[in-house]
Amino acid sequence: MAQVTLPDWFKEARVEPCLTGSKVKPPNFIEKNLNNIASFMREVVSLEEYAAKSGVLQSLDTRARITGMLAIVAACSITSRFAMLAGVFVILFLMMLISGVSFMALARRVLPSFVFTLALAFPVFFNFMTPGTDALKFFDTPVKVSITYEGLSTGLFFMMRVTSMVSLVALLLLTTRQADFFKGLRTLPVPPLFVTALFMTFRYIFILLKIAEDSTLARKSRTIARTKLSESQNWFASRITLILKKSMNMAEEVNMAMASRGFAGRIKTFDNGRMRGRDYLWLGFSSFVLFLSFGL
Amino acid sequence: MNEEVYKIEGVSFSYGKLFALKDISFSICQGESVGILGANGTGKSTLLKMLNGLVFPTHGSIKFLGTEVSEDALRGDFLRCFRERVGFVFPEPDVQLFCPTVFDELAFGPLQLELPREEVKKRVESLLEMLGIAALRDRAPYTLSSGEKKKVAIASVLSINPDVLLLDEPTNGLDPRTQVWLFEILQRLKELKKTFVMSTHDLSLVEDFAERVIVIDEAHTIAADGPATKVLSDKDLLLRANIIHEHTHRHGNITHIHSHGPFSTHDEHE
Repeated sequence: MAQVTLPDWFKEARVEPCLTGSKVKPPNFIEKNLNNIASFMREVVSLEEYAAKSGVLQSLDTRARITGMLAIVAACSITSRFAMLAGVFVILFLMMLISGVSFMALARRVLPSFVFTLALAFPVFFNFMTPGTDALKFFDTPVKVSITYEGLSTGLFFMMRVTSMVSLVALLLLTTRQADFFKGLRTLPVPPLFVTALFMTFRYIFILLKIAEDSTLARKSRTIARTKLSESQNWFASRITLILKKSMNMAEEVNMAMASRGFAGRIKTFDNGRMRGRDYLWLGFSSFVLFLSFGL
Repeated sequence: MNEEVYKIEGVSFSYGKLFALKDISFSICQGESVGILGANGTGKSTLLKMLNGLVFPTHGSIKFLGTEVSEDALRGDFLRCFRERVGFVFPEPDVQLFCPTVFDELAFGPLQLELPREEVKKRVESLLEMLGIAALRDRAPYTLSSGEKKKVAIASVLSINPDVLLLDEPTNGLDPRTQVWLFEILQRLKELKKTFVMSTHDLSLVEDFAERVIVIDEAHTIAADGPATKVLSDKDLLLRANIIHEHTHRHGNITHIHSHGPFSTHDEHE
């Protein structure tokens, strides 16, 4: 093998000292995204912490847990009464307590959707969206702007409904191991191919996110000058394209791996075990809540 | 002479105008352990995928127990016979692990082959014990370490109890302890007269495990096919095929040029 000859510039020693003490610059667009992705990944992995606890919800059969929770979610979407939603919040709070889930853990997962819902519902509070009796008047001229009782009622109801539904689903996911969740879905009348596709999306998104994270760190390790936002955004877009290509290659390889082990278009899986008395009790209770939502 | 398992005749495979393999012909008999050696991009993985009926030759034919491995054949009754006899361990375990738990992963193959549920459970439990991965039973595969993923990937193929094992870079990224674990498992399976086709860069594994070595050169053709001892002792061949390389370094005032792999000695002073 030919001997490697190093160019002269490679041999020059660096003599200047490293500068320190300058003002610390805030993270740029890429770094912020990277941090968000990394924290999301860490959070999802740590979800199993509550699922591993020996709480009441955790002790239920996964099928019963999913079906019962979905029944209460359906009740929230059907009801048109504040009292019903308030009742669901009480149930949610009790379930949280008896399942060993901390309020903060649940609140952290519900907060983004709460903020989003608030942003959506915000105009509904005002007289120009929901005319009615003024609850709080800001000004009359040149146009009247006020919050109305009717707007408050509609907006708050909408927010309560969405928050209760999101909280129920968040509690379900917190108290259910991901593996059990997908197994539970498989035994419900959901098409197996759909559940498999859903699981695989969840499974492989992490690998692709890891590629994205590594790619960003590799860039960061070689970036000295501060890049323009537009440059960062262009680079980010090019990485998304790369990840899309990688995901297509991976989909092909996974398909081959499945075919190699006998998959021929229809997934065959194990059935879950039998449900116990407490599972039926929970299903009865959640069905009762659903029943009440029609009348209340 | 043992029964001929594979007969590969004049096989070529191309991605558009780029050839991955050119005019490859060889046979593999039952109970043989064959190492496929070649530099990166010579078509080793493509060859293994063809042997597993995942991609098909653009020219030539591959026969498994006398039946051509073609797309049409794998849509018929031959599919079950082929899939339960041939197992493929992918180089990247993440690709191969797509079930919610390790248990489900091991059960996937036998369930697709419609084995009775009780038999599947028995197989999976005994494999978990045999491979020392029972503690991983209910873990999600993505939470495992690289070595554990590889163990589960191998177990997921072994649960089908294939007669032929195709292994693509089996020691890639494994720590030394897991490499020894893998070697011991393969040795035990070899005693059962299973057939192995292994593509690897790990010359020590080939030296210890394979009786026969096929070298694919950078022209994507077979450069050598013969007993492992003979092929691995042909230094010029291995250098030409870019499987070993020469390396220069210094000890004080003495410069050494020596090769890596089976010819790693310090007697070639310059």
